[in-house]
Amino acid sequence: MKKVLLMFGLVFWLPLQAMAIDVAEIVARANHAAYYQGQDGKARVQMTIVDAQGRERAREFIILRRNDDGATDAGQKIYVYFNRPADVNQTAFLVWKKLQGEDDRWLYLPALDLVKRIAASDERTSFVGSHFFYEDVSGRVPEEDSHRLVEETDNYYVVESTPKEPGLVEFASYKNWIHKQSFIPVRTEFYDAGGQAYRTYEAQQVESINGYQTVTRSRMSDARIGGETTMGYSEVEYDLGLSDDLFTERYLRNPPRRYLR
Amino acid sequence: MQILSEQAVSHPKRYLWGAGLMSAVLLILVTLPSLWPSQFPLLNPLQIDTDPENMLEADEPVRVLHNAMRKEFSLYDIVVVGVVNNSNPQGVFNVQSLNNVYRLAEYASTLRWEQGDSSEGVVAVDMIAPSTVDNIEQDGLGAVRFEWLMSEPPQTEAEALAIAEKAQRLPFLDDTLISRDRRAVALYIPITSKSISYRVASALQEKTAEFAGDDEFYVTGLPVAQDQFGVEMFVQMAVSAPLAMLLIFALMWLFFRNIVLVVSPMVVALISVIATMGLLIVTGNTVHIMSSMIPIFIMPIAVLDAVHILSDFFDRYPKNRDRLQTVREVMDELSRPMLFTSLTTSVGFASLALTPIPPVQVFGLFVGLGVLIAWLLTVTLIPAYIMLMPEASLAGFGLNESASGGAPRQTLLTRLLHRTGRFTWQHSKLIVGVSLLLCVGAWYGITQIRINDNPVKWFSETHEIRIADRALNERFGGTYMAYLALQPGSSELDYSRYSADLQARLVQLEPKIGGAVAALLTEKAAQAADKPALIELTRDAISEIQDQPISDEEWDAWENVALGLDQELLSDQVFKRPDVLAYIERLQQHLLDTGLVGKSNALPDIVKTVHRELLLGADEEYRIPDSAAAVAQTLITYESSHRPQDLWHFVTPDFRKTNLWIQLKSGDNIDMNAVVTSVDRYLAANPAPVELEHDWFGLTYINVIWQQKMVSGMLSAFLGSFVIVLALMVLLFRSLWWGLLSMVPLTMTIGVTYGIIGIIGKDYDMPVAVLSSLSLGLAVDYAIHFLARSRELRSRFDSWKDTLGAVFEEPARAISRNIVVIGCGFLPLLAAPLVPYKTVGVFISTILILAGAATLLILPALITLFQNRLFKQSEGVER
Repeated sequence: MKKVLLMFGLVFWLPLQAMAIDVAEIVARANHAAYYQGQDGKARVQMTIVDAQGRERAREFIILRRNDDGATDAGQKIYVYFNRPADVNQTAFLVWKKLQGEDDRWLYLPALDLVKRIAASDERTSFVGSHFFYEDVSGRVPEEDSHRLVEETDNYYVVESTPKEPGLVEFASYKNWIHKQSFIPVRTEFYDAGGQAYRTYEAQQVESINGYQTVTRSRMSDARIGGETTMGYSEVEYDLGLSDDLFTERYLRNPPRRYLR
Repeated sequence: MQILSEQAVSHPKRYLWGAGLMSAVLLILVTLPSLWPSQFPLLNPLQIDTDPENMLEADEPVRVLHNAMRKEFSLYDIVVVGVVNNSNPQGVFNVQSLNNVYRLAEYASTLRWEQGDSSEGVVAVDMIAPSTVDNIEQDGLGAVRFEWLMSEPPQTEAEALAIAEKAQRLPFLDDTLISRDRRAVALYIPITSKSISYRVASALQEKTAEFAGDDEFYVTGLPVAQDQFGVEMFVQMAVSAPLAMLLIFALMWLFFRNIVLVVSPMVVALISVIATMGLLIVTGNTVHIMSSMIPIFIMPIAVLDAVHILSDFFDRYPKNRDRLQTVREVMDELSRPMLFTSLTTSVGFASLALTPIPPVQVFGLFVGLGVLIAWLLTVTLIPAYIMLMPEASLAGFGLNESASGGAPRQTLLTRLLHRTGRFTWQHSKLIVGVSLLLCVGAWYGITQIRINDNPVKWFSETHEIRIADRALNERFGGTYMAYLALQPGSSELDYSRYSADLQARLVQLEPKIGGAVAALLTEKAAQAADKPALIELTRDAISEIQDQPISDEEWDAWENVALGLDQELLSDQVFKRPDVLAYIERLQQHLLDTGLVGKSNALPDIVKTVHRELLLGADEEYRIPDSAAAVAQTLITYESSHRPQDLWHFVTPDFRKTNLWIQLKSGDNIDMNAVVTSVDRYLAANPAPVELEHDWFGLTYINVIWQQKMVSGMLSAFLGSFVIVLALMVLLFRSLWWGLLSMVPLTMTIGVTYGIIGIIGKDYDMPVAVLSSLSLGLAVDYAIHFLARSRELRSRFDSWKDTLGAVFEEPARAISRNIVVIGCGFLPLLAAPLVPYKTVGVFISTILILAGAATLLILPALITLFQNRLFKQSEGVER
């Protein structure tokens, strides 16, 4: 569900036989719409972090993504290259997302001339200081939760998901409002043990790009720390034919300029 | 003034009923809104205020700054829970204890309540506990790992120990979360508002009571202490004040042996207290630590004049056997000195309004008011009461058993006073000589006075708050927090020069497109009015150029210029600069070197720790990296943790303001002050790479500021009331010399008292500071009575020597009775659980007894020495 980088969406062109659809399929399609559209994709992201006091910080980065396998929504590789602020220019972040076990993550810090593997016990750490978690960017694996279709409106499936291993996450459950036609999750609310919604994702703008329904503006707010982060996507492209070896340690130090312009 | 008494004597019932009605009305006005606040929104309910911050006005600069900074760095009031295990060889790092700690933190994070529109409670995301903080460490070869320090309670003793190992490697947590000896961990539980600290602390205490094992739990922190304080304030009011009343009643009964009569001063005292406290609350003032002492001050003072009346009545009634006649004689003689003693006392207290401390002002004004109320009630109700007493109950009343006026019965007091009188005549020079010696000693003592205070020490040594305070400060870096904020000084930027410089720098960056860059800058410099606008306009323009179909080479060049432009903004971010961070690091070391600071946490600690872990955890990499970009990249790594928001407790997102957390081992103002002075000196002697302004905040620092205000405020209050009282005395006696003379006993007394305070090393703290003005107003009473009666009696005798004998009869007895009643009247404060009350009790009693002694010894001795001058001048004495 987390859907941040959701550019990439197939327009699912399905007869509206929604009543018959089962929750596993809804979740699978939403996961696909949010994270797997096209074989690969690219976007320039303008990230604005606003804290509880209204203080703003901006980051700008390019994100490249490639599905390992065109047929199934399985492994992925993600490359994030920072442009701004200038003091983190050329900082790069590489993820090999796996359905089983911990993802592999690397970080390149140019000023320290250092490539570092990053390990984390869970994926619910902040993505570079924003209100988005790392997992919101890379995508939470649907198999980690149990899903239940709790409501169906004219436009949305409302799916409630509860973690199979509650000890690994800070939420008790979350709900997704999944658009019936595009299967894009347009709203996600995370609830604490008291049933209080404390963290909210919204897809604020969706455009059709290269035939894919793509979220081009999204927002995450978190009531516990206050404030919100918005990400605006521009220069979105799909199916560029990114080669697998772009997503290797070597390219962390030597960024593929032609995709970063 | 006798008019009032005459009226009261004529309509005694009317006066007594009137006073009773007034008390009833005030009681109702206070009770209704306190019990049913919603039904009586226009009335002020009883409000308790235990916040030491309120020692200063809300708009006091240091408080405004404190609140602004707390908001800016998202700092909350904190409840601290210390968990100590002294029996397990692994200290608190054993399976059982850490399970407790885990459950406690889980429980604490659920403490939230709806209050009105908002929810109040624990700020769970900012809680510092083993399960809520991140560990950063090496993970296999070359990987760095972020994880919760204790994501779940340990299963084995080895796991428990591993948590200690990890925590102690993080400078941030070592000595803050975990004690050096591993016997203790401290949980820091931020709360949204101080007002719920009691609720949070109680809930935590209940929870810890459920835990198995041999852990000790200490729930403390300033907000908890304050709440506790409020509770004990009521104990003081509920215990000490009635106790004082009882004691005064017993002493008066001892002197006058007539229960019915002795009830009258108690009625006066009670109504005075009700009226004063009622007015205080009705007018919307809060009951603060100072104002909670009002009842116990009013009570003895209120009976003071009544004791004079009764004492005089007691001595005269047997001669007259006519109460109306006796009352008239008594009031005739006493009304003037009573008015003046009440005025001087009132002035002494009211002078506290000159201090810049609001609770002290309120205290002074209302005690001053209460004294006047007590005077009014005394001169009316006491005579009225006497008139209403059945004649029979006065039978057998009085000093003389026989109505015929034979030789007075020789009581111990009477004999002692006779001897004293003779002694002052025979040894006047000795007395004055010894007094002068005492003055010299007092002066020495006063120069030794140490000005210091510490609100935690307002609790007695054995109080659980003090025990917790000691337990935690022994083991951790210190629980007294002060904050030091640094920011670059504002410098005026010459915009036209800046834009020219910027253009030159950017052209130099990419000479190939230099012409285009220069043209762009010239154009934008004209459009913009300041640096941020110039940079934004230029950046947008470059972005448009880059969107054009230009060559890669050209695109890269413009990208480079755009980066250079962004760098211009970053150059303002001084707290990413390695040289500035290194400076802060040295400042932190200096703080440690003072010996007063147990630990400090600041931005360099975060940077150094992350840097070390990025570089294989090698100890030599625990350092600030070499460039601002390296610092920025270290920090972006930190921001990828579970708690990126922690960074903003130490620096603002624009990196223009940083905040050092300083943990002091002691909350004594003297220590905080020493740190402040030492930092000032350090900053002056070691200029920072950029000009830095510094501001202190935090409660430990605020205490220093209000103390400074208190000391200077008290001095001016004291001097002010000294002058006013002296003027009143000169007016009363119509003589400068007599006026000066009347000031001698209290001056001596206050001097000697403060001398003793200096010599025994008792800190000059809030209660001690307040004492000077209080005692000034009280102690002059004896002198007034003594001198007024002396002058009056002198006109009836040939010589001072003969007069002296008469003065040491009834007048001296009245004064002695007063000394005992009032002096002892404050002693019940010793039963109060809080140190300031005890201090006030001990010293007020001391001062009153000393002042009484000085009056009975020094004044007659001085009169004896200077009798010619004094009596020649005052021919035709006032009565």
